[in-house]
Amino acid sequence: MSTPVSRRIFGGVLLAGTGALAVHRMRSAGLVPDRRKPRSRVAILHEAVYSGRLDRMLTEGISLFDLDFRGKTVLVKPNLVESIPGAEVNTNPRLVGAAATAFLALGAGSVVVAEGPGHQRDTQLVLEETGLARELRERGIRFVDLNRDDIAERRLATRFTGLDHLWLPHTVLAADFVVSMPKVKTHHWAGVTLSMKNLFGVVPGIAYGWPKNVLHWKGIDRSILDINAAVQAHFVIADGIVGMDGNGPLHGTPRNLGRIVLADDPVAADFTCARLMGLNPLRVPHLAQAAEFLGNGAPERIIQLAEQLPRSVEPFAVLPEFAYLQA
Amino acid sequence: MNLSIGETERQRLARWRLSEELVRREIPGGWSHDGTQIATEPTALALLALRSSTWASIAAERGCRALILRRRSDGLWPAIGDRANVNFWTTAVAVNALMILDAEPKTLASSVDALVHGCPLEASWLVRLKFRFSDRRVRFDSRKYGWPWVPCTVSWVLPTSMALIALERAKKRGLVGGTQVETRLRLGTEMLIDRACAGGGWNAGNSFVYGVPLRPHIDATAIALAALRPQYQQPIVRSSLTWLLGCVQCPSAYSLAWLILAASTYEEVRSGITPTLAAARDRLAALVDDPQGIQDTSTVALAALALGAGPSNNPFEVNG
Repeated sequence: MSTPVSRRIFGGVLLAGTGALAVHRMRSAGLVPDRRKPRSRVAILHEAVYSGRLDRMLTEGISLFDLDFRGKTVLVKPNLVESIPGAEVNTNPRLVGAAATAFLALGAGSVVVAEGPGHQRDTQLVLEETGLARELRERGIRFVDLNRDDIAERRLATRFTGLDHLWLPHTVLAADFVVSMPKVKTHHWAGVTLSMKNLFGVVPGIAYGWPKNVLHWKGIDRSILDINAAVQAHFVIADGIVGMDGNGPLHGTPRNLGRIVLADDPVAADFTCARLMGLNPLRVPHLAQAAEFLGNGAPERIIQLAEQLPRSVEPFAVLPEFAYLQA
Repeated sequence: MNLSIGETERQRLARWRLSEELVRREIPGGWSHDGTQIATEPTALALLALRSSTWASIAAERGCRALILRRRSDGLWPAIGDRANVNFWTTAVAVNALMILDAEPKTLASSVDALVHGCPLEASWLVRLKFRFSDRRVRFDSRKYGWPWVPCTVSWVLPTSMALIALERAKKRGLVGGTQVETRLRLGTEMLIDRACAGGGWNAGNSFVYGVPLRPHIDATAIALAALRPQYQQPIVRSSLTWLLGCVQCPSAYSLAWLILAASTYEEVRSGITPTLAAARDRLAALVDDPQGIQDTSTVALAALALGAGPSNNPFEVNG
C-alpha cells in the first residue's frame, strides 16, 4: 500500500473515530437524545430487475415488519436529483410507485411522494424526465415539491452544524410516517449517499437556495446528523437493484447489486447497505456518529429478517480520496 | 387582453386561462407557491402577468404595496413567510418587478443599495484562498463573483443573473450609478461567463466537479442569457443560445416559459428565432392546458408572461 493511501486511511479513520467519540461524550452528558432501540430490523431482498413483481415483493417485504402506519399519512421520499441518460442517478420510479402502492394496500390512510432536488430548480422537469411523473399519474399518487412547500421552523436539539433551527416543509412535519428511499451510491463529498444523506432533500430550496449551500458550508456530515435528528425516517427502502459506484452521486458507473434493503432504522439500513457495498460503515463519519445516538450499526443489534449479509462482496469502486472506506 | 402579433388563438386562450387562474389563487397579501404562505417570487411574477391581462385592475389595485409590505428593514426580501432568511434571488425578482410596476424610485433605493452591497463569501480573500489551495474539486475562478442565494454562502448562477437584470434596469432608469455598481455588474457578468458549461449553457453554478463536465439546465441557461443579452458578441453566449433553442421540446412548462422569455430578447440579433419561438409558445400553450393542475404559482405566472411577451413588454429584457 502506498504511503499517501495509508495517510488517507489513517485520516479517514481518525475523522470518523474522533467524531464518534465526541458524539459518545455528548450523549453521555445528555446533550443529544438517544434514539436507538434495543434491536433494529433489516430485510435484504434479492431482485435483479425493475419489473412488475416489485409491487408484490414490497408488500410482502414491508409485512415482515409490524409497522404502525394504518390510517396514517405516509410520506415517501425518493432520491431525485436529475435525469442523466445512461446513469443510475435516481431511485427507480417503478420502485417508488410500488412502495406507494404497497403502503396503501397495507392500510396507510394516504400516501404522498415528496422530494426537493438540490441543484435542479425545475422539479417538474426532473419528474417528467425520470419517468416518475408518469408512474405516479398512473397509480394516482400525489407528488409534493418540498422545495416550494409552506415551511415552518424546527428547533434543533443537536447542534452539529452550529445552526439552532432548520426550516422544514409542512408536508414533512405533518407526515405520520416517513419513508426514506435512497439510491445506493457512492458520493464524492460524503463517501456514500444512503437513507440518511437522502434526507438532505427535505430541506427546502426556497429557504436555503439551489443548492442548499448553507448546509455545505456547515459541513455535509454535520448537516446529515442535524437533519436526521430533526426528521426521523421511520422506514427505509433502499434501491440497490442497480446502484452507482465510482464518482457518485451523478457520474459514477452503474453497479448491479441486485438487492433492496428494507429497515425500520435508517442507521441500521445504511450500515447494511455500506456492508453490501463492501465499505466499512464505521469509516464514514456521519454513519459512525449516527450509530452513537440515532440508530443501530453494530451487527449484534440488527436482526436480519430475510437473507443474511453475504460473507464476501466485491467492493464498490470509490474515488482515491475514499480508498480508506474499502479497507 | 391585448393580442400580440403572431399569437395564435390557442395561445390567447391559454394566456386568458392562466391569468384567470392567478386571480383564483390570490390570497390576502399576495400569492403562494403552492400553499397558504405568501411568497415573494410568485407574488412579483403574478403582478407582472396580471398587469397586461383582462385583470390588469387587480395588479393596479394591489400595485406595489403587496411586495413592499413584505420587505425587511435592510431592503431585502425573504423568499417565503415573514421570518425565513432573506434571499438575493427573490430580492432581485421583486426589485425588477417593482420598477416595471412603476414603484416610486425612493421606495426602491434601500433595496437597490442592498443588492449592490450584498456580497457572497468569495468577496473575502480568505474564502478565495480556500478555493485556491484547499477546495479544488470544483473548478472556477473565485475572483469573479456575483450573488448568493442567501447571505453567508457563495455565488450561484440564478441569483447572479437576476441581480444583473434588476441592477441593469435600475441603472437605465437612473436609480443607481457609479463605480461600485459598475464593478458589481462587471464581476457578475465575468462570473457567469466563467461558470458556463463546456458546450454552452449554465446549471446551478458548477461546470466541472472532479474533472467531469456537468450538464446545463434549461432554466439557468435561459435566465443567464437574459442577463447576458448585452454580451451577445461573446462566443459562449451565442453557443449557449444555440443550446437553449434546441430544448423547445422540453416537457416542463416552467423551463419552457423561461426559454421563451430569454430567447425572445435575442429576436433582433439572431436570425431564425421567431419560428422557433412560435413553436415553443404553441407547445407551452398545450402544456398549460389545465392551469389548475400546475402546482407552482410561479409557473402559472411565467407561462402567462411567456405567452404574452413581446419586444416591449418582456420583464426580463434589459437591452432595450
